[in-house]
Amino acid sequence: MKRILRLPSLLRLTLVFFIAIAFQNCSQEKIKEKTDETLNITEYLRANSDYSMFLEILDMTNYASFMNTYGTYTVFIPTNEAVKQYLTDVGATSLSEIPLEDLQNIARLHILDQKVTTTSFTDGKIATPSLHGQYLITGASNKNGVSSVTVNKSASIVASNIELGNGVVHIIDKVLLVANKTLAQTIAENPNLSLFTEALKATGWFDELNKPLTKDENNVSSYLSVLAQTNEVFAEAGYTTLDQLKARYSHLNNPMDKKDSLNLFISYRILPGLQYLADIAVSPALVTKAPLEVISAKLSKDTILLNDDIFNGILEKGVAIDRAVSDVTASNGVLHFVEGNFAIKKRLPAPVYFEFTDIAEFRRLTSIWRKPGAAFQDVPLSEAGIDVTWDGKTTDGASRISYNKAANGTAITNGVAGCWGADVLEIYRFRDATCQNIAFKTPVIIKGKYKVWISYRQKASKLGNVKVFFDGVELPRQINLHEGGNTDTAGTPETVLESQGYKRYAQPWSNRVNCRLVGTIDVTTTARHTLTLQSQFNAGDSAWFDLVEFRPVEMNQLYPKFQAGGSGLIYQ
Amino acid sequence: MQTKIKTILAIFILFVSASSCDNYLDLRPQDGIVREDFWKTKEDIQAAVIGIYSSMLNSPPGVSDLTMSQYLFMYGELRADMIAPGGNVTEDERDIMNSNIIASNELTSWAAFYRTINYCNTVIDLAPAVKDLDPTLTQTKLNNFLSEALAIRAYLYFTLARTFRDVPLKLDATKSDADNFQIPVSTQAEVFAQVIKDLELAEQYGVEDYGDNASNRGRITTYAINAMQADVYLWTDKFQEAVNAANKVIASPRFRLIPASSNWFTTVYANGNSAESILELQYTKTNLGPFYNIFRQRPEFLAGDLVLEDVFGIDLDNPTNRDVRGERASVVPGANLIYKYIGFDFNEFKALQDADTHWFIYRFADVLLMKAEALNELEQGQEALDIIANLRLNRNALDLTAEDLSGGAKVQITDYLLDERAREFAYEGKRWFDLLRNAKRNNYARLDILLEAGISGALPEQQQSVLAKLRDPNSHYLPINTFELFTNKALVQNPFYK
Repeated sequence: MKRILRLPSLLRLTLVFFIAIAFQNCSQEKIKEKTDETLNITEYLRANSDYSMFLEILDMTNYASFMNTYGTYTVFIPTNEAVKQYLTDVGATSLSEIPLEDLQNIARLHILDQKVTTTSFTDGKIATPSLHGQYLITGASNKNGVSSVTVNKSASIVASNIELGNGVVHIIDKVLLVANKTLAQTIAENPNLSLFTEALKATGWFDELNKPLTKDENNVSSYLSVLAQTNEVFAEAGYTTLDQLKARYSHLNNPMDKKDSLNLFISYRILPGLQYLADIAVSPALVTKAPLEVISAKLSKDTILLNDDIFNGILEKGVAIDRAVSDVTASNGVLHFVEGNFAIKKRLPAPVYFEFTDIAEFRRLTSIWRKPGAAFQDVPLSEAGIDVTWDGKTTDGASRISYNKAANGTAITNGVAGCWGADVLEIYRFRDATCQNIAFKTPVIIKGKYKVWISYRQKASKLGNVKVFFDGVELPRQINLHEGGNTDTAGTPETVLESQGYKRYAQPWSNRVNCRLVGTIDVTTTARHTLTLQSQFNAGDSAWFDLVEFRPVEMNQLYPKFQAGGSGLIYQ
Repeated sequence: MQTKIKTILAIFILFVSASSCDNYLDLRPQDGIVREDFWKTKEDIQAAVIGIYSSMLNSPPGVSDLTMSQYLFMYGELRADMIAPGGNVTEDERDIMNSNIIASNELTSWAAFYRTINYCNTVIDLAPAVKDLDPTLTQTKLNNFLSEALAIRAYLYFTLARTFRDVPLKLDATKSDADNFQIPVSTQAEVFAQVIKDLELAEQYGVEDYGDNASNRGRITTYAINAMQADVYLWTDKFQEAVNAANKVIASPRFRLIPASSNWFTTVYANGNSAESILELQYTKTNLGPFYNIFRQRPEFLAGDLVLEDVFGIDLDNPTNRDVRGERASVVPGANLIYKYIGFDFNEFKALQDADTHWFIYRFADVLLMKAEALNELEQGQEALDIIANLRLNRNALDLTAEDLSGGAKVQITDYLLDERAREFAYEGKRWFDLLRNAKRNNYARLDILLEAGISGALPEQQQSVLAKLRDPNSHYLPINTFELFTNKALVQNPFYK
C-alpha cells in the first residue's frame, strides 16, 4: 500500500482511472441479435386473431411449424368468416369434424412454394402449382361496382401482397376448394353437354377424360384441356342426336376407331396440357389429340377466335370461346366452351411465297413498308420477337436487321432493285456474336411435301455460305451468297438449271439475284413453322435476303415467277 | 514575476473564451439564408416565385426523385392507349402501363408535387408581410406574385385530384417540424372547389402582360389561369363557365393557330413560346429537361405500334400528304420514338446539348377543343364541329380521319373530339385525363371509353383482369404510396388497392 502511495502522482492517477473503467465495463450491454423484426407466416397468423381458424387448420395438419421456416412462400389466407362459411357448406360445426385428409388438401392448396405477388397474376393459372399439385387460377371480377382480384374464380382478395419474413400472403374471403371431379364427370353432370357426353362415350374418349391425373417418367402431368360444345351449339349446326353426328362424320362407321372422322372430330377438341384461356390467348397454334392437327388461336380485341385464318388471301371466320363460362377446373384438366361448331379442315398443300420483309417487325413501319419510295430502317434486337428473332445482345448496336427498299423504277441491276418488291431483309453483320442464327416464323403452311427455294441478292465478297433449318432440322443444301444468277439463257435452259437446284426466280432477270433449292421438307402439321438461317462465315458486309418459296413437290417449280422491282407474280 | 505571468495568462484565457464564443456557437447555415433574413424586399419575393417555376423544371439539389414534367407526362400517358414500353422501361412504369398497380409502386409518390405546393404556400403566407418592410412593393405587384403562386398551387392540386382523386389539402406553409403533418384526405370535389376558388382569386390578382414573350408564355398570366379554369370546369361539369373562361383566351390577339408549314414543328415545339403557347415549362440549354434521356438515349417509352396508322392516318396514295402533327412531329415511324421533345424539325433530331424543348401545359388548341367539348355538352354540337374543322384545316389533317357528323350527334362528337385531342396533344400528358374526364361524365355513362383504352394496353394474358378492374371507378385513380401511409396515419387508402 505504501508502495502504491509512493508512486508518482501521474501513475497514481492512471491507476485510479483504469480501476474506474474496469468497474464500469462490467455492466452487460444489451445486444440486438436480430437485424429484422418481420414476422414469419405462422407468427403473423398467431398475431392476427382474424385468421385464427386457418391457423387451426395449419396446426391440425402440422403445417404450422413448416410455415414458420425460412423460404419463399405464398399463402392465401382465408378469413375466419370464410372458414366458417366453408364449415356451413360441408355441414360441420367445427374443424375437428372434417377428415384430416381433406384439411391437408385444403392447407396444401393454399400454399405455393414461390413468392407470387398480384402484379404477376394473369387471367389464367399462377405459374407455380400449389403444394397440392393443382394450379390456382387468378383473374379479376367486378361485383356491385367494386373490382377485386379473384383466386379460383370464387374467392376475392381482400388484402394483398403482405410481405412477411418467409414470403408473401394474400387474404381471401372464401376457402379454396380442391377440384375433385374429373373432366368426364364435370362434363357428364352438365345437362347442356348431353350430346357432347354421348359423343365422348361413343368414341371412347369419355374413359380417357375420366382417368385420374398421372405423371410420366419426365414428371409431365397428364392434364387435358377440352373445348366442349353445348347442345345449343350443336343444334345450331343442325345436330340434335348422336345418330345425326354419326351420319355426318363417322365415315368408317366405327367411332371407336381412332381414324374414324367422328373420333377425330372429338379428339380435335381435346388438347394435351393444362391450357387456360390466358394460355390459349397467347399461343398461336394449339396441338390437339387428333394426330398432327392443330387449332390456330388468336385474340381479336377481347375475343379468342379459334381457326380464324387467312388462307390464300381469303379470311375463314373462326369460332369464339365463351369466356364467361370457360376456365372450369377439373381434377385432371380444364374445360372450355366454344360458341360454334368447328371441325378439322381438309386442305390441299398450297404454295407459300414468304417474303422475308413480310414480318410484323417491318410491317409496322407503316410509312415506308412497301411504299413507292426508297427506304431504309434498322430494327434492333430489342424490337424483334414477333415474327423474327436472332441471337445477339440487345446492347450490341451491330446486332440488327434492316428493311431495305429501292425506289420503284430503279434499274434492276442497281442495289436491291432486282428483288421481288424491290425490297430485302438486310442483316447488318450475319456472323457469330451479332447475328449467327436468325429464325423466322413462316405464314401458315398446310401439311404436305414442299420444295424450299431461297432467293437472295448476291454480293461478290465478304460473305459466305448459309445453312438453312426448317423446324430445327437442317436442309441438305447450303446457299452461297457470293454466287450470282445464271444469265446464259441460250446455253443453259431453265429446266437444266432446275435440275441443278437453281432457277431464275425473278423477271426480268439479272445476275444480281439468285435462287437456290435448299431441300425438300415434309410439313407434318398445318401451322406456322420456323425457318432458320445460320451463317457459316464471318460476314464483313451486310447480307440481303429476298424471299423463300415453299412449293408443293407436285407443282411447277419455275412458274409463277416474281416481278423484279415490283410486287406482281408472272405466270408463264 | 510568477504572479505577472499568471495574470497575463488569466487575461488571455478570459479574452479567448469571452470573444470567440459568439462566432463559434452561431447556428446559422454558412451556405444559405434563413427565413428571418429573407422576405425583406420585393426582390426576395420575386426570387421565391421564380424558385417555384424552377422546382417544376428540375428537382432541387439533394433530391433524387423524378422531375415534375416527367411525372406530368407519366400520369397523363402511362395508363392511356398511345404508349408502349421502350427497352429501358422500369418495372414500375411497365406495371402502370399494364394496369398492374400496387401501392408500393414508386411512381405513385407525390412528393414532387407537395414540395412545389409548399413553395407556393410559403410565398402566399410570407409575401404579404414584406409590404411593411419594403415601401417600393406596391399592392398590385404583391398581388401579381400571389396570383402566380395561387395558380401554380391550383394546377398542382388539380393534377393530384385527377390522378389520385382524394388527396390531403394543405394550404399553409410548412415552417417547422412542429407543424401537423397528419392531414386526412379531402375528396376530389373539395379539392376541385378549392382549385376553382384559388383560380378566381388568382385571376383577380393576375398579370396580363409581363412585357416580354418568354415571361408571357412561361409565367402565369390571366390567360393561363383562364385555360386552367376551362379545364377544371369541364371536370366539374360547369360547361357554361368553361365556355366563358375559354372565350377570354380566344378573344386575346396574343394567341392564334399557326397553319401547317415546313417549319411548323420547329416553331411550335422545338423552339416553343409560339403564338400557340399559353403556358410552357421553360427548359433552356443550360437547364435541360428529362425527355432526351427517356425518349431517345435510353428510351423508356415508345409510341404504340399503331398510333401513326390509327390516330393520324396514312395516305396510302400520297405519302407526302400527311397530318402535320403525326409523322416526325409526334412519332418517328419505324423506331416508334416519341419525337415531340427530341426533334428539331421534320427531319432532324436535336442534339443532346440542345434538347431544351419545353413541357407544354396549355396551348391555344387546348382551349379551343375544351370550348368545343363544353359546347357539345351544352347541345351546341354544330359549333363544336366548326371548331374541330377549323383546327383540322390548320393541321392539314387527312380526310381519312375526318368524320361527317350532324350537330346533334352528341356521343359521336365526343368520340370525334377525343380522337382529335389524341392527334393534337399526343404525348403532352393529356390523354388519360381526357379519356377519364369523358368516361366519368354523367355517372360513368361512357365507361366504354376507358375499357377500349384498357384493352389496347393490356397484355393478352391479363386482358380480362384489366377489364374487370377498370369497371371499378376506384381503379381509375392511383393508390396512395405505401410510404405516405406509413408516415401519415390520417390517410386512408383508396379501397380498390386492398
